[in-house]
Amino acid sequence: MVISIWTKTTVIFFTILFQLPGLAWALDLSELIRKVEQQYTGQSSISKVEMTVVTGHWERHLSMESWSLGREHFLVRILSPAKEKGVSTLKVEREVWNFLPKVDRVIRIPPSMMGGAWMGSHITNDDLVKANHIDQDYDFSLLDEDEQQWTIMGIPKPEAPVIWGKIVYQVLKDQLVPLQIEYYDEEDVLVRRILFDDVQTIGDRTVPLKMTVLPLEKPQEKTIMHYRDLRFDVDLNKAFFSLGQLKRRR
Amino acid sequence: MLYQLALRNIWRNRRRTLLTLSAMIVSSALLILALGVFSGMLRDMLASATEQYYGHLVISSKGYQDDRDMFRHFPADLSLDAVLAQDAILGTSARLRSFGLLSHQQNSSPAELLGIHAAQEKLVTSLQEALVAGEYLADNDHNGAVLGSGLARRLNVGPGDELVFVTQAADGSIGNDLLRVAGIFSTGDHGHDNSLVLVPLAWLQSVLVLPGQIHEIAIRTDQPLNAAALAQRYKSNLPDSLEILDWGQMLPEMREVVASYDVSRMIIVTILYIATGLGILNTFFMSVMERTREFGVLMALGMKPAQVRSMVLLETFLMGTLALIFGVIIGVALSLYMALVGIDLSGTLTPITYAGGTILPRLHAVIETSNIIIPAGCLLLISLLAGFLPANRAARMQPVVAIREE
Repeated sequence: MVISIWTKTTVIFFTILFQLPGLAWALDLSELIRKVEQQYTGQSSISKVEMTVVTGHWERHLSMESWSLGREHFLVRILSPAKEKGVSTLKVEREVWNFLPKVDRVIRIPPSMMGGAWMGSHITNDDLVKANHIDQDYDFSLLDEDEQQWTIMGIPKPEAPVIWGKIVYQVLKDQLVPLQIEYYDEEDVLVRRILFDDVQTIGDRTVPLKMTVLPLEKPQEKTIMHYRDLRFDVDLNKAFFSLGQLKRRR
Repeated sequence: MLYQLALRNIWRNRRRTLLTLSAMIVSSALLILALGVFSGMLRDMLASATEQYYGHLVISSKGYQDDRDMFRHFPADLSLDAVLAQDAILGTSARLRSFGLLSHQQNSSPAELLGIHAAQEKLVTSLQEALVAGEYLADNDHNGAVLGSGLARRLNVGPGDELVFVTQAADGSIGNDLLRVAGIFSTGDHGHDNSLVLVPLAWLQSVLVLPGQIHEIAIRTDQPLNAAALAQRYKSNLPDSLEILDWGQMLPEMREVVASYDVSRMIIVTILYIATGLGILNTFFMSVMERTREFGVLMALGMKPAQVRSMVLLETFLMGTLALIFGVIIGVALSLYMALVGIDLSGTLTPITYAGGTILPRLHAVIETSNIIIPAGCLLLISLLAGFLPANRAARMQPVVAIREE
């Protein structure tokens, strides 16, 4: 009798002992990815971004100003070039609106156009909306680990409304910042790679300020986002992210 | 003399002759009508694909029609006179195309914009005849838009309302500008009704930052079914960077539909005429059998077997000709009625889009000479074939045996 109780206790103990790390890892990975995906937004942020878009036909440089609050509120406005000055995008939860100062109209991006390019770059409207939900929509597992980095694979949850078939992250261990993210489509073909660079410490955060998006189907094309002035935990509230604010010209 | 004999023989048993004749007349008349309606359906389908959108022939940069890449444009001032010095051309229309987002207040929808000159486009496509509200683009309209009914419903707009169009321009900038709804068309083709918008060419060139450039020249000819041959002929006159495609190349499914139509037409003709032929065969066998004794007498009087055969064949030939005349008259009359009036089925059927074309819910005939010549020729042929067996039998009779037969 005594022995059997001991046996049971031992079994339970070891079961817990062996399962806990796995459980802890699963939580950690999801948390880690959430941190990676929100490295530029944080609780709230204001930034100035320079975007360079290169395609086979043209090359453009845009400078933009952006505001964010949590994962659901985001506003960006183009400062230059002059032709597009004032063009703005507002994202609130899963909706995206654009403001076009030339015609003085706000248009809502319909679900069917979410895959379209955002501001002519290689970033889609979907990236704005869904990237912030990646930690909720995907299951993560550790593919590889070495001295410097983790390689983490994300596979979509069965019912999740996602666009990628697989995402592979390479995250630097000491700074907890991503080195590269690779996106695979549903046929498991690598279609996009994002490289991170220029790691800086801002307040109590470590952030790679440069991000290069490479659409692998078009090798000569790329979009580079370079954060010039990034500030976290600024004074912003939800009311700021309104259609009225979207239309305000500077 | 044979001719007179044959005529008299035909009229001897009037009831039988009239019954046979009526079978022949009705079958050929109905066949002409059926083929006419069939052709009408095909013509509707082809017209919906070509005369509402593509045109019969299209000149564009090589590869443009495969991917509709915005950057495969060419100068609009390309002179076509050297290329198209042909009277088979009814109209040409220079077009610029753009895909983007069309928006009105809270509603937005993806759309395909076609920048056109209204006066030119009217000669190539017939969307102006499919308007359900408002007007077609006026020649001097600088930002009018004619859009499909499905798109108009989704955006909740009517004539006079304002639209915003956004797309990526050729220089990478965000091209955007206002349009004003001029008219709304409804073709029955859901693809076009839900996405197509006609706008002035100059307006779209400025939004896309493609001054003086176009993507294609659509051409209408007076012989749609001959478009492939025309394309072949014009090809050599084109600059190397451009290509000319006929509707069969742009809509390969449609070409197969046309080809399969020719096959099914022959199948229908064959089946119907086998039945008619058996009826004629039956009648003439009976009439030859009944007249065994008579043939015996004729041959005993010195008529040669070849003459007997000719006489019977002449009888069937005369009946065939008679049936043909009446059959064609009635068939053409019925087809004419269906061509001019037709039967509207829109109460019970919705349009069906298939192979890039739309079958409208109406029975409507077109009159094509081949649809008359084929049934008429086959009728004559089948009546001669059906007459051949009885004629042979009559010719091979032994006069002595034949006379004795009761």
